[in-house]
Amino acid sequence: MKQIVIGAAMVAATVTGATAQEVTLGRFFGACEDAGTDTTTSVGEACIIQSIINAASEQIDGVTVNTLPTDWGNYYDQIKAAYAGGTPPDIHVLHRSALAEFAGLGALADLTDDLEAAGIDPNDWADAARDAVTVDGRIMAVPMDFHANLWHVNMDLMEQAGLVDDNGEPILPTSPEELLQQAQMVHDATGQDYLAADFAQFPIGVRLVLSLMWQQGENIFTEDGTATIDTEAARNAITAITQLFDAGLANPQLNYADSQQAFLNGEAAILVNGTWVVDLYDSEAADPDVALSNYYVADFPTLFDEGATWADSHMWAIPASVQRDDPETYQAALQVLAFINDHNIDWARTGHMSVRNSVLSSDAYAALPHRSEYAGTAEIARDTPPSERYGAIQDVLNREFQAIWLTDKPIGDALGDAELDVQDLLDR
Amino acid sequence: MTSINKRRNHLSEAQAAWVLLLPFLAVYGAFLVYPFFRGIWISLHDWNLLAVAFNPDAREFVGVRNYERIMWGRNIEWAALAHPTLQILGIAGVGISVFLRWTNRASRATAIALGLASVLLFVLPGFHPGEGGRWYDRRFWPTVGNTITFVGLTVPGVTISALVLAAALNRETRAMSVLRTLFFLSQVLSVTVVTLIWQIMFSPRQGLIANLTELFGGSPIVWLTDESFAMAAIVITTIWWSLGIAMILFLAGLQDISKDLYEAGALDNATGLRAFWHITLPNLKRTVTVVVVLQIILHFQVFGQSHLMTNGGPNDTTQVLVRYIYQTAFRDSELGRASAMAVFLFVIMGSFSILQFILGREDD
Repeated sequence: MKQIVIGAAMVAATVTGATAQEVTLGRFFGACEDAGTDTTTSVGEACIIQSIINAASEQIDGVTVNTLPTDWGNYYDQIKAAYAGGTPPDIHVLHRSALAEFAGLGALADLTDDLEAAGIDPNDWADAARDAVTVDGRIMAVPMDFHANLWHVNMDLMEQAGLVDDNGEPILPTSPEELLQQAQMVHDATGQDYLAADFAQFPIGVRLVLSLMWQQGENIFTEDGTATIDTEAARNAITAITQLFDAGLANPQLNYADSQQAFLNGEAAILVNGTWVVDLYDSEAADPDVALSNYYVADFPTLFDEGATWADSHMWAIPASVQRDDPETYQAALQVLAFINDHNIDWARTGHMSVRNSVLSSDAYAALPHRSEYAGTAEIARDTPPSERYGAIQDVLNREFQAIWLTDKPIGDALGDAELDVQDLLDR
Repeated sequence: MTSINKRRNHLSEAQAAWVLLLPFLAVYGAFLVYPFFRGIWISLHDWNLLAVAFNPDAREFVGVRNYERIMWGRNIEWAALAHPTLQILGIAGVGISVFLRWTNRASRATAIALGLASVLLFVLPGFHPGEGGRWYDRRFWPTVGNTITFVGLTVPGVTISALVLAAALNRETRAMSVLRTLFFLSQVLSVTVVTLIWQIMFSPRQGLIANLTELFGGSPIVWLTDESFAMAAIVITTIWWSLGIAMILFLAGLQDISKDLYEAGALDNATGLRAFWHITLPNLKRTVTVVVVLQIILHFQVFGQSHLMTNGGPNDTTQVLVRYIYQTAFRDSELGRASAMAVFLFVIMGSFSILQFILGREDD
């Protein structure tokens, strides 16, 4: 990252006074040293996005892109502080779940009337993608992907436990009881854990529980702002997971890095994580030094009544102040957005789902590794109703759910406390 | 600057003093005094960070409601034994300070300070929500409690280990000066580096500590996500990190102690530990006070260790006040509420500064 920043700063310095228009860009996804400008060979979210940005900076005439140093964990805090200080980056990435808060304040530029001129065709976006970036009928951002939770599978461990069917696909549970049964089978056959996920750090465990609540037709709060967490559905969802901890078939204490390492080390048959790591695990599985060798990706299985998995969307926005006060930078920023939109297929290499119909129907997209294995995910993608308090609500749930599996807080107490806290947030 | 020096003969002493002080006062005023009062002003408003940035009129004066919302609740009652352990400790503290003052073993200021702290320890934990009541902010007081626990563990930890190290390294050999530098070195690292190092140390998979535990046949502790070890983990990290300054202060104090005292002590058969207890410690009293008070003020502001190593978890056991302020201000955009918490933190730290002031004067 440092090199990128220094490099970008040097480029910016050499062109100052010349015609090049500098566009500052804020993003999460992590740092990638030496991403280069080849958008077709980079691996992993950080390097793929940085290679696209570098290529944009190199290939768009008269525009240089300066990627600002940001930290993933504190990204939104940094962006908000930058807005509050009047110096937001000219382009920045955000989640669909954060759009409500930013757009509601009038922080973001309304891009609706400028997209076509910039070479971005909103009609090529999938309906769900266009809905995701639309607030009150206006397009406030350019969508880049859909991402969702998947089950990443170690087929060797599943094979040993007899959990592979005749088509070579993994046999996954269809009920909480089957989940426990199959987990026990894996443990008996291999001595390894059945399932790993980050239950101790980022809200991956929360997303897991949410998916299982949605599968029962329930949600954590209603559209009109009533928290509904202390419910039978939540209890069922949590017990489905804690039964694995109680039986010693999964370890709740692993954080993101540790759970990923456990999966790559062949210490867990299933890893629950997002679409963003498919290409990474695929390349790791090809490495003979990595224990995981037979890698498969599956849709989040349906344990209750209907299919559902947590999903969100990454999108790019331009601050309203840039559109209003600085037309040259705004035009340059639009060109960068168009470039990113044009490279949607490269971004889809991460494992994310494309937002463009032309990409979704292309052979290149279908040929991406493991793509066919989780084709059903787009159908079952779900999320909570939009809320300006999304981040804080996720934190409440993460804290209380962790209290259940890390500190043995009784489920009823944790759900009761979570409901009170979320209601407080919704009422503020 | 040079132009001022050339004209120095034409300025009176007072004028020169003002001229020299001016840059400092300007910076101090702009970056400390003004933001401080502004913070208090903001704490009296319903002030959304982002909304006010886009529309300055989006704030609303609410008086002390932010303070009420964080510190108070519905149906809050007070009982003498709502939290027996702490409150009995408080009563005992009052008794001890009266006794110490009575028997002249403590000065008036020390007795008053100890007495006041004990009264607070008796009074504050007595508040609790009554029938059907609850705190408006369920997390605030537990967070304050965590911060106090952190300070209560870190400050003695730093002080004692720095004192022991300083006493051991207080010799004029090359090896000792190398060691002194080594022990000081951790102090210059930034919190990101320190927490990164210790996250690796504590990792149950590749960490040094886990490897050692496994070597001796134990199963590795998952430090950062285990309720009973998470706080210990960030305390250990902090002790390692902030040992340096305390050690240097103690070394300075040690070198102030006259060698004659030790020689005289040696004649009375006071060497080694005994000399440390009867000569070194009493002479270091002042330094110990300074170190303790400085550390208290410093560690009440803990943020990075909790934010980067444990995210305040598990179950909020390592959530500390500054992290809560940060989240409230930047994640939740509630600047007014966050400022109210910051003012609360200021009052705590301010009282310790006053305490240091009193104790410092007393020694004179």
